[in-house]
Amino acid sequence: MTAPVVSVRDLKKIYRVHERETGLGATFRSLVKRRYKDVPAVAGIDFGIEPGEVVGFLGPNGAGKTTTLKMLSGLLFPTGGEAQVLGHVPWRREDRFLRRMTLLMGNRTQLVWDIPAADSFLVLKEIYAIGDAQYKGTLDELTELLELAPLLHKPVRQLSLGERMKVEFAAGLLHRPEVVFLDEPTLGLDVSMQARIRTFIRELNRRSGATILLTSHYMDDIVALCRRVIVIHHGRILYDGALADLAERMAPYKLVGATLRGGARDLSAYGQVVSDVGGQVKIRVPRAQAAETTARLVRDLGESLADLSLEDPPIEEVIDRVFSGEQLDGTGGQRELAGVAR
Amino acid sequence: MKLLATYRALLVAQLQQAAQYRIQALLWMLFAIIRPVIFLAAWAAVASTQGGSVGGFSVGDFTTYFVCLTLVTHLTMAWNSHEFEFEIRQGRLSPKLLRPLHPLHYSIVDNAVFKLTTILPLSAVLVGVVLTFGARFDTQPFHVLLFVPSVFLAAELAFMFTWLIATLAFWVTRMRTANTLFMRASFIFAGQIAPISLVPDWLQAISYALPFWYMLGAPTEILRGSTTLTSSLLIIGAQAVWLGLTYVAFTFAWRSGLRQYSAVGA
Amino acid sequence: MGRYLRIFRSFLSTEFQFEMEYRTNFFMGIFEMLLVVGTSLAAVLVIFSHTGSLNGWSLPQMVALTGVYYLVQGGVNIVFSPSFERLMEHVRQGTLDFTLLKPASAQFLVSTRHLSLVRVVDLFMGVGVMSAGLVMLGNSVTLGSVLVFLVTLVAGIACVYALLLTLVTLAFWFVRIENLLAIFWAFTDAGRFPIDVYPGWLRLTLATVVPIGIAVTVPAEAISGRLSPESLAAMLAGTIFSVVFATWFWRRGLKSYTGASA
Repeated sequence: MTAPVVSVRDLKKIYRVHERETGLGATFRSLVKRRYKDVPAVAGIDFGIEPGEVVGFLGPNGAGKTTTLKMLSGLLFPTGGEAQVLGHVPWRREDRFLRRMTLLMGNRTQLVWDIPAADSFLVLKEIYAIGDAQYKGTLDELTELLELAPLLHKPVRQLSLGERMKVEFAAGLLHRPEVVFLDEPTLGLDVSMQARIRTFIRELNRRSGATILLTSHYMDDIVALCRRVIVIHHGRILYDGALADLAERMAPYKLVGATLRGGARDLSAYGQVVSDVGGQVKIRVPRAQAAETTARLVRDLGESLADLSLEDPPIEEVIDRVFSGEQLDGTGGQRELAGVAR
Repeated sequence: MKLLATYRALLVAQLQQAAQYRIQALLWMLFAIIRPVIFLAAWAAVASTQGGSVGGFSVGDFTTYFVCLTLVTHLTMAWNSHEFEFEIRQGRLSPKLLRPLHPLHYSIVDNAVFKLTTILPLSAVLVGVVLTFGARFDTQPFHVLLFVPSVFLAAELAFMFTWLIATLAFWVTRMRTANTLFMRASFIFAGQIAPISLVPDWLQAISYALPFWYMLGAPTEILRGSTTLTSSLLIIGAQAVWLGLTYVAFTFAWRSGLRQYSAVGA
Repeated sequence: MGRYLRIFRSFLSTEFQFEMEYRTNFFMGIFEMLLVVGTSLAAVLVIFSHTGSLNGWSLPQMVALTGVYYLVQGGVNIVFSPSFERLMEHVRQGTLDFTLLKPASAQFLVSTRHLSLVRVVDLFMGVGVMSAGLVMLGNSVTLGSVLVFLVTLVAGIACVYALLLTLVTLAFWFVRIENLLAIFWAFTDAGRFPIDVYPGWLRLTLATVVPIGIAVTVPAEAISGRLSPESLAAMLAGTIFSVVFATWFWRRGLKSYTGASA
């Protein structure tokens, strides 16, 4: 049993924000006196990550994902709780710790706009005190993996968003970090570039064994990269476990797919019909009644049933519903949700 | 009427910004204060070593001049065009051009709000200086009366002139040189160094011929009461002429600049 | 120390390559500087057309002081102002985070990351004007006075650096502080006259809170042979204090930025 790379206990972050008011009078008042209120961004979370894991961090905007990443990378002091990354308390920001990790943010650049990336890399080489041989080896490898060769000697401002992100990755990985925090690494990229970044992240994890914690709005990223996900909402963890089990835990219903022979039939008696296209019918049924419903369908439809399937709802839909706080089915959805919240 | 309503809305928005950046506004005020105080100190030192007065100016006279200069500097400050240069370089002008309101109007409101919100603390500082140094005013009622249009014209002139310079940004990328040129011309010709009667004759002649003194020195001289009624009116006339010329030049430059801008397709 | 020299050298090399692409800037820079220095000397001449001395400073000494004024500005403008300007931009855009994650002193990185090599012109211009003043003065310049001058010049630039660092640290609390540097330049205007010209409260300000006064006056006194040992000692003590204070304040600001203190 190896020690976890990241361990978090009861981590909290509360922001104090200045309340802005509208209207002429209120504006004048706020010239003199400001009002503040406390906003909990992270309200006490616990988790651990083992070496070499790739973990997806899911949640809507403002759920506390970025705040957590910033605390884990040492940029923010928590209001309470503990965290260790690679055996260090991140917010002490010791050089020894900083040399072993990296944080990449999809919407922000650390490269200097007006100079070629290769020059920025040389600066990073000195800052991280990377030896010549290691620097060359790493840069060659990254250049090959990310196809950087034509990009390195152009001023960064001339690169497209996708090209810039690739260069950004290289900049963040030159010092061969053992822990990689990725905040929306594919934000704003086109589909093919997203796919290439994904392939790269997987390859990075495979080759270097780096532990990766990533947030993304794109479920495709998560599905392609992470076997484990942590779902966070309003600063609390709603789910922590295998991606494969997420639907089962979070969506208390399944989808029954029936392919019918000889024309359409009304199947609404068996459950809520989600779609009905050319004899392909999808019915939403409560998880507990799924087996019974399929049995009933086989019995009632007999010969006219060509094919039958039972599946979990698409992961996007599950996540969407959790975050919108919608009831997951007609009955007792809220109770189910409260049940999984820990 | 519609323009008035627009101004009202802009005013509220800008006031809110001002509320957010109140410390900054106070810091900006220093701009108007520091240079006059520096030259006041230098001239006061010269006056004391010369036995109390230089070229007919006592320490009190210098104080009056530089206090008035500070007030006028504050009231005529024009900085908005710098944002314009920035926007044009970043390609952010287009959205503003799409709105049915000339970008100039945003600047006017922004400018006015800053002066409104800082005039009180500034006046307090100036009253303090006047009392400490014993300023001596020769101001007659007609001076005060004529100061109002004069300082207004000076502010307009400085505002339009900086915008005229800013339109250069349509053609050239490096605006620093143009801005330095303006600031140094203002430094040497506008009366920042000394009251105009103390500078050498040739410098005086150039200052009267160029627009810079009319943005700063002119209303200052009226406010401290050093001008006769006739010369005050002449100064105001000259200010109006310069403003007219600058406005025409700006309109022309703006139009051809926009044509150039849309031709490039930014 | 060696490591930081290497880091600084890498900054220097990237900036040099960048500036070589924009060579016209260099010539424009020279033109602007001629304009600025010329008009400043004109202002001195206007004042001296009415007097032979300004608080005991003769015209040649005032010319030398003007030279020192641009030397100090040049020293600050080459490294610290461009770096701090970017720093405030980074704070605004949230990209300062990247700097904080680097395994090196954040204060060093933000203070020296960007250079404006064009401003080397200021240094040349300053040396030129100062030399002109010294020639007019006709005094012989000893090796000792040059050494003291260099020490006080570096100390003066360090004082200004401390002030700048303190000012930009405010950006952690007040986000739209980008014009602070411009305001600092308004203050530096006061350096164009010897500090003893100013009335008591202002002189005190220019010697302590905004040390541009001593940063210019003391080296100018040193090179024109009017510096007293007491002023030298006071200046060195003040430099150490202000740099220590600025460093402390920077760390305090950083703590607030990361939410380390309430």
